[in-house]
Amino acid sequence: MSILKKGDLLLAAAIALIALAVSWSFKVFGNGDTARIAVIKQKGRVIRRIDLDRVTGSETFELKGDYPQLIQVEKGRIRVAEAGCPDQVCVETGWLTKRGDAAVCVPNGTIIEIEGEKSEVDDATY
Amino acid sequence: MIKLHRIVLLALLVSQAMVLSFIETFIPNPVPIPGFKLGLANIVTMLVIFFFGFGDAVLVVVVRCALSAILFGGPVVFIFSLAGGILSTVVMSVLYYRMREMLSIIGISMAGAVAHNAGQLVAAVVLMGTLSVFSYLPVLLIAGLVTGFITGVCSRQLSKAFQKWRRSEGQNREK
Amino acid sequence: MKFKAKCLSLPLTLALLGAALAACRLQMPREPVKKQGFHMGTIISQEVYGESADKAADEVMKEIARLEAEMTVTKPGSEIERLNQMAGRGTVKLGPDSFYVLKTAVRYGEMSGGSFDVTVGPLVKTWGFFTGKARVPAPDEIRRLLSLVDYRDILLDEKKLLAGLAREGQAVDLGGIAKGYAGDVAVGIYKRHGIKSACLNIGGNVVALGSKPDGSPWRIGIQDPRGEKGSYVGVVKVVDKAVVTSGDYERFIEPEKGGKRYHHILDPATGYPADSGLISATIIADSSIEADALSTSVFILGLDKGMKLIESLNGVEAVLVTKDKKVYITGGLKESFTASGEKKGYEYIEKG
Repeated sequence: MSILKKGDLLLAAAIALIALAVSWSFKVFGNGDTARIAVIKQKGRVIRRIDLDRVTGSETFELKGDYPQLIQVEKGRIRVAEAGCPDQVCVETGWLTKRGDAAVCVPNGTIIEIEGEKSEVDDATY
Repeated sequence: MIKLHRIVLLALLVSQAMVLSFIETFIPNPVPIPGFKLGLANIVTMLVIFFFGFGDAVLVVVVRCALSAILFGGPVVFIFSLAGGILSTVVMSVLYYRMREMLSIIGISMAGAVAHNAGQLVAAVVLMGTLSVFSYLPVLLIAGLVTGFITGVCSRQLSKAFQKWRRSEGQNREK
Repeated sequence: MKFKAKCLSLPLTLALLGAALAACRLQMPREPVKKQGFHMGTIISQEVYGESADKAADEVMKEIARLEAEMTVTKPGSEIERLNQMAGRGTVKLGPDSFYVLKTAVRYGEMSGGSFDVTVGPLVKTWGFFTGKARVPAPDEIRRLLSLVDYRDILLDEKKLLAGLAREGQAVDLGGIAKGYAGDVAVGIYKRHGIKSACLNIGGNVVALGSKPDGSPWRIGIQDPRGEKGSYVGVVKVVDKAVVTSGDYERFIEPEKGGKRYHHILDPATGYPADSGLISATIIADSSIEADALSTSVFILGLDKGMKLIESLNGVEAVLVTKDKKVYITGGLKESFTASGEKKGYEYIEKG
């Protein structure tokens, strides 16, 4: 290649290497775009934030309120295991795993959601 | 070159750069990434670095960014293009003045395009206040290599022509 | 060198000017304002774009709370509670909001031939939905209460904003229409604040104002009535529309665990949960109160009568899901509806 000098190729190779290293580090360490953060809100206040990908084992804890709820967290998922409310909508919602998933308990005023946008829709009617 | 001569030439180059940016908007974007551009205006920046020097190159970049922000974009566009433009000018100048033996025009152009993209990304991080756009970095780096190569080939041809023209210009003046 | 300094001053001034402009522009949030709240017995979420998005969202939340206090039967001291207490004994003065909603409810009562009837109040109360003490009433109790259900017994005096119920024991329940009205009120508030792009969700009633900031339509998922929450039977793209669904899956009671389920949309003709063959009825319309009232009406009327009602109206589209997993879509949605339940056994049929 006559139009390129040796240094050009070295430079290009170095940049390509950096690009590879950066994209690899995103895969390994994750970044804001793929992290799944469960946010637990009660009456508008954030009570807890949990990085679901860093959970080890299984943890349960109670959300106090008019109708106490038992929250269960495992690696990559979170759910309302039990609730004292009459309608049980939050329990029936089941495990939350994807960004944008949410379990709502109207009687207890709590929202558990995995931060981020749902990709396929902007909102939902039900 | 006398002063007036230089100002006229630089002004011409600024307008050339703007025309190139404008033409660029007609080229369909093959990759759906915001900020992915061919960066034809970089050709002009390189020519100014080669034939006028670093100071004038910065001048041309700032004026070009300001003018196109006023005419086509807005303040946000201005900050984006300025961040990319200044960083690439600095990188290309350093490479040109310090490492000319090792690098060809095309290599310098590739480094400039990569720096341009990196600068824009940094601007995006600052403006949006989120680090998540950094996930574009690998793609933008590779994209810079590709676009830098293309604009580098153009710059190479143009700088040859420019050199020839300047030589004949000099001869004319001697007559 | 002197020359250079002069030469640089112009672009520097320009740069500063640009930066100043940028600073002004940047105050305008390009990220949406998102707010959630609990009102009207459900969750309300807003996604609002624009300069005064924050203010507008707060005002909408406050206004919905105010409407709730006026229109909820179970809220002591609400206008509707007073109306019910005075049933058969006289009229009460209503605020313009409650009056408008009641008047609109009567209109949809007529339009649906009585399938949409807000005077199901006594039945709703006896069934005890949402109270935690739900039960299936005895057949003769239902028969007795059914005789009290008749929207034509709502007396309205438009000039004085007076309203009354003709017979003692009658009661109005605005559950099938109040949220819809709140959606229209919210759109008015957004517009007053110069908001051009917003999406409001009041317990599943979606109201989309304008398009998304990038100009593309809002994509609204329609809940799969037999799938898990957040799975869709289809997605509809809308601009400036209300999208409201009535279904048998969202709220129900299960008197015996694992036993028969009774959903909360009562058929005024039988006194029992509507069993028309539809398991979900989604209405897409310009106004949210219209979509709300129609989704309930159509859900109770069933596929054939419901479709006829929709076709008789201008600018109203629908997605109806039947028990046998057939999804009926009105012709106007041809371009904007995307099916997403084929793999789950849904069959899609275009109508009209």
